[in-house]
Amino acid sequence: MNNIIAIFDSSHDAPEEIIMAAGKIPYKILGDVHTSTTPADQYLFETFCPAARSFLTEALSSSENWDGIVAAHGCDATHRHFDIWKKHVKIPFLHYVNNPFSRVSKSSRKFYKIELQTLIQALEEQYSVQITTEKLKHAISISNQVKSLLQKLGKLRESKDIPNREYFEICKKAVQEDKADLISELQQTLEIWKDRPTFPKGYAKIMLTGSDVTFPEFMDILEKAKLRVVRDDLSIGERYYAALIPDFDDPIDAIIEYQYLIPRPSTKHPSNPRLDYIFEAYFESKVDGILSQNLKFCEDYAYDSVWLSDTFKEKGIPSIHLERDFIAEDQQLFTRLEAFRELLKTQEALK
Amino acid sequence: MSSAEQHTQKKLVKTLKTSSKLKKIMAWYFIKGKIYSKLPWKKVAWSVSGFPTEFLWTYDVYPFLPENCATIAAARHKSQELIEYAEACGYSRDLCSYMKTNIGAYDKKLPAQFGGLEKPDIMVCTNTICDTHVKWFQIQSRKLNVPLFQWDIPAYVSGSDEKVMNRYIDYVQDQFWEFTDFMYDHTGKKFNQKKFIKTINKADELAVLWHELFEYRKKIPAPLGYADTLGDVFPMFALVGERSGRGVNFYQELVNEVKEAAKVGKGVVDEEKYRLLFEGIPFWYKIKFFHQLANFGAVVTYEPYTYSFGARRKIIDNDIEKSLREMAKTLIHTPYFYNLETRMEYFKKTIEEYKIDGVILHNNLSCRPSTTGMADLKNYIQEELGKPVLLLTCDMNDPRAFSEAPMQTRLESFIELLEAQK
Ligand code: SF4
Ligand code: SF4
Repeated sequence: MNNIIAIFDSSHDAPEEIIMAAGKIPYKILGDVHTSTTPADQYLFETFCPAARSFLTEALSSSENWDGIVAAHGCDATHRHFDIWKKHVKIPFLHYVNNPFSRVSKSSRKFYKIELQTLIQALEEQYSVQITTEKLKHAISISNQVKSLLQKLGKLRESKDIPNREYFEICKKAVQEDKADLISELQQTLEIWKDRPTFPKGYAKIMLTGSDVTFPEFMDILEKAKLRVVRDDLSIGERYYAALIPDFDDPIDAIIEYQYLIPRPSTKHPSNPRLDYIFEAYFESKVDGILSQNLKFCEDYAYDSVWLSDTFKEKGIPSIHLERDFIAEDQQLFTRLEAFRELLKTQEALK
Repeated sequence: MSSAEQHTQKKLVKTLKTSSKLKKIMAWYFIKGKIYSKLPWKKVAWSVSGFPTEFLWTYDVYPFLPENCATIAAARHKSQELIEYAEACGYSRDLCSYMKTNIGAYDKKLPAQFGGLEKPDIMVCTNTICDTHVKWFQIQSRKLNVPLFQWDIPAYVSGSDEKVMNRYIDYVQDQFWEFTDFMYDHTGKKFNQKKFIKTINKADELAVLWHELFEYRKKIPAPLGYADTLGDVFPMFALVGERSGRGVNFYQELVNEVKEAAKVGKGVVDEEKYRLLFEGIPFWYKIKFFHQLANFGAVVTYEPYTYSFGARRKIIDNDIEKSLREMAKTLIHTPYFYNLETRMEYFKKTIEEYKIDGVILHNNLSCRPSTTGMADLKNYIQEELGKPVLLLTCDMNDPRAFSEAPMQTRLESFIELLEAQK
C-alpha cells in the first residue's frame, strides 16, 4: 500500500481535500490510451465511453497499488459503471459520493454536505484517522497553493511559447501526485516558463472545450496542426484551478462552494454557465477560435455541442465541433484540425 | 424464401379484445392535449419516464410524453426521417433516438397521430433513468424558451443500504416542495393537498390493476403477452391519476378478460412452448418481431420495462410527508433502473416466479444506461441460473440498426437452444 486513494469521476467531481485530510494522496484515474481496453470490454460493451473503459482497465490492473477508490457521480458512466467496479475491482475500500447533478435546487447543497460528511466518516472508519477541521483547512491551503500556481502557469500560455503537451502534463500532475511535493516543482516551472520566448508565430490561439482530454497525445495532434490551447474549461486544465476554494469557517461548505464556482461541465444542471465561462475566456484572452469536441459515446458533451456551435455561429465566433476517438494518433482528426487552422488564418487575414 | 421470411410471413400472435379499445382512449388523450394547449388558462407540460405523471395531473396540467410520442412516430414508420433530420442538425448518430425523433417531430410540426406534440408551458424531468432526459430537456427548453424543472434523483448504486436510501429520500422529498414552488411560479397553481391525495389514490388504482395483470402472466399458458402490454402500458405513463377514470376502466376490462382467459386456460399462443423475459425497450418500428415469436410457440411473459411504469405511489395514513417518503423510494429504486446487484436478484426471482425458459436482452445502441451491466447480467443468467440468453444489438427507434436476416437467424438459433434445454 502506498497511501494512494484513486479517484473515479468524470469532470472534477471528487473532493480531493477530504482525501488529503485523511492523510492520503488523491490520484485521479485517467486510463491509458496505449493500453488495450480488452479487460474492461468484457463488462462494458464497445459502444460505451472509451475513456471510462480505460479507467476500468486501469483499475482492474492497478488496484493493488491503491488503498482505496473514491467514486463521485459525474455522468451516466460513473454511477452505472460503479456497479461493475464493485463487482470486479479488488480493493479494500470503495466509496460512492453522490454529488448532486442539480446546481440549482436549494436542497442540493444540503444533500451535498451530507454526502461529504458521509465520505469523511467512511474514511475515518476505514483508516482509523480523525479528519478534523484543521486538517481539512490545511489540505485546502495546499490545494489552493497548487491552484494559484496553475493559474499563473495557465495564463502564460497566451504570451509565451508553452507547447500544449507541457501544459497538459503539468495539470495532470496536479490531479495525480502529492500536492505538497508538487508546489516547489510548480514554482520552478513558473520561473522557467516566464523566461520562455514569446508566443510563436504561425500558431493560432484556441480555446478548447468539451469532453475531458485525458491523454497528452491529443494535445500533440493540436500542436502539429499549429493550434495552441491558450484557454480551456477542462478538468485537466482550467476547471481544476480557475476558482480557489473559498476561506469559510466550515471547510465542507467551502469545498461545496468551490464546486459551484468552477467552470461548469455538461454533466451538471443547468449547463448554461458553461457557455458563460467560454465567452468570458474567449473575449478576455482574444483567442482566434474555439475548438469544441466530444469523445465518441460521451453523451453529455455531444448533446451540448449543437447548442454551442449554433451560439458561436450566431455570435460570429470562429469554431469547429469534432467527435474524436480514444487513440494516440489520428490522421483524420489532424486533417480536420488543419482545415480549422486554415479557416482561422483566413479570418485573421480578413481582419 | 428463407426460413426467416417464412416465419415473419406467418400469422401473428393474437391480442386481447379489450386492447383494441386503447385507440379510442389515445385519441381522446391527444385531443385533450390539443385543447389544453389552445386554452390560455389550461397548462401543458412535457415530461419524461421516471417523473411521476400523477404529480402533473394533480395540478390539472396535461402531460405530453415525448418518449411516448417518439414510439408512435416509430410505429408509424416516421422515426428514421426525423432522426436523420436531427443528425443533420448536428446530433450524433450515437445519441438517443427518442431524443432525435422528438427534435424532428417538433421542428417538422408532425401531427399527434405521427408522434408530434404541442409546445408546452413547462417542462419537467429527472435524471433518475439517464442523463439524456436532462440534456434533452435542456436543449428543448432553451430552444422553446420554456421553464424547466429538473428533479435530481441520486443514483442508488450497488452496495447501498437503508441508511443511504434514507439520505436520498430526504433529498428527493425536499425537492418535492421545490417542485410545488416551481408549479406555482410558472403555472400560477397552488399545491392542493386534497387534490393531491385524490389524484395519488386514483393513480394507485391504476397501478394495482396493472400489477394484477402481471400476476396472470405467471399462469401457464400465459393469457397475456408482450404484444398486449407494450401497447396497453400507455395509460400507465400518460393517465396515472387522470380524473376521468378512462385508464382505470380500461384496465378493469383488461383484467376481466385476462381473468376469464386464465380460468379456461387460454393462452396468447395456441401451443405455449417457451416463456421468455425481454429486457430493454422494444423495437417500436418492428413490433412484428415480438408478434412472430408466437410462430415458435414462444411468448414474452415478463418485461421489466412495462412493469416499472406501474410503480405504486400510495397515500399513507393521510400523511403527506410520510407518503412522500414512500413515493421517493420508487423514484430512486425501480426495476427498470435497478443497480446491478439488485437487478441480478430481481432477475432470479422473476425467472422463478414467471417460469421463464429464456431471456432476450436488448443491447440498445440508443440507451447506454439500460445496457450497462448487461454483460454481467448475461453471464449470471446463463451460468448461475442456467437459462439461455439471446443478446440482440439494436435500437428502439432507429430502424437503421435493425438487420432483418441476422436478427431472425439469431432468434432461430436461440429457439433451438431453448428446445434443447427442454
Ligand atoms: S468522457 Fe464523457 S462519458 Fe466518458 S466519463 Fe467523461 S463525461 Fe463521462
Ligand atoms: S432510451 Fe435510454 S437514453 Fe433514451 S431517453 Fe430512454 S432511458 Fe434515456
